[in-house]
Amino acid sequence: MTASTQPFVHPALFYQGDKEYLHGTVPFIRDGLKAGEPVAVAVPGPNLAILKTALGEDAAHVKFLDMTEAGRNPGRIIPKVLRAFADSHRQTRVRIIGEPIWAGRSSVEYPACVQHEALINPAFQGRNVTILCPYDADHLDEQVLADAYETHPLVIADGRERPSPAYAPEHVVARYNQPLEQPAAAEELLFHVDRLPDARQFAVTHAARLGLSGIRLEDVALIVAELTANSVIHGGGFGTLRVWADGGQVVCEVRDHGHLDDPLAGRRPPARDQIGGRGLLLVHFLADLVRIHTSPDGTAVRCYISPH
Amino acid sequence: MDSSGQAEASPASPTQPAGALRVHPLADRPGWQAAGEINLLTRSAWEETLHHLALSDEEACHLELSAITFVDVAGVSALAVTAQGLAEGRRIVLEEPPATLRRVLHMFWPDLPTVEVMAR
Repeated sequence: MTASTQPFVHPALFYQGDKEYLHGTVPFIRDGLKAGEPVAVAVPGPNLAILKTALGEDAAHVKFLDMTEAGRNPGRIIPKVLRAFADSHRQTRVRIIGEPIWAGRSSVEYPACVQHEALINPAFQGRNVTILCPYDADHLDEQVLADAYETHPLVIADGRERPSPAYAPEHVVARYNQPLEQPAAAEELLFHVDRLPDARQFAVTHAARLGLSGIRLEDVALIVAELTANSVIHGGGFGTLRVWADGGQVVCEVRDHGHLDDPLAGRRPPARDQIGGRGLLLVHFLADLVRIHTSPDGTAVRCYISPH
Repeated sequence: MDSSGQAEASPASPTQPAGALRVHPLADRPGWQAAGEINLLTRSAWEETLHHLALSDEEACHLELSAITFVDVAGVSALAVTAQGLAEGRRIVLEEPPATLRRVLHMFWPDLPTVEVMAR
């Protein structure tokens, strides 16, 4: 890695095939271990497997996470994967390989994925951390690869690292802040402060009817309680709750008249002794996907919850 | 997101018994029994209970929570922050807390030495 004047280093690595993948990641990991830097690797399962094999005995010193599980909801990757690791080694520089975008990501997931990539930059500004993000140039769309030039200050292609000529993470966050298309049909409830328990019960009842059970219904209750309480406190005092099914998932959406003007809301782990600041974080931890559209006219937060 | 300190948490109205929180002192051990929901509407009553608990001289204060039907993340946060502020040697004993409370506690405070959980 080229020496940088910034403590935070965030390159995108464009790779074609396993050989290039390993060439771009294994020396990065070994250099980190040699320098005494803690190393974590959060990538999809198949790439985890080839990396573990290539690293041999060195693999024992690396923390591995399957990104399709830990980072299924891209909104929780910063607090639960990246900062969780970096914050547990605050005395030293750390290296992380994070691959949050893979060929199987859906078009519904992608805007949240690319916003996550953009938000890594402000989230880690000034931190002694390197986060290397591999992009599968053989299988990802042209637009995805082009976006990676906007979300990463450095790019590595054909074994060469250079500053990205297109780096503009704020533009990405704004461009993918897209209105959420309405479903054909949904159960709907208008709520205000006195109806918060009703709203929660409404969501749980319909989520159960649509196929969720057990712990996932508890998750729906927690998610909807946080989102509706937010509307009451920050979103103008009332809002609209909608619940419907999409594919195999249950979707819960809360709309209100608030404006969520802090793009890192819900992505900052609060101090242990801090009372507030965990509501949206919890929503990101529990949901399988969170899509948000926010403007001065109002905010919609849409959570996708899988049966398992 | 969370509103502790700024919420106008009014006591749950009698017409909304589903969202209410009832708190009574325990008869045979130091502490309180709470029943109902710990949510935005009842947050002030819950925090008042925790405030009394923090000021108590008892080494172990019990919170009997078997009849709590819902607790939000702010309610768990208030409990965790109270537990971290207890005087040396003191602790909170949670009796039969709802599964959600244990999950959220574990999610954000996996190691809180001053909270003891007694499940049935």
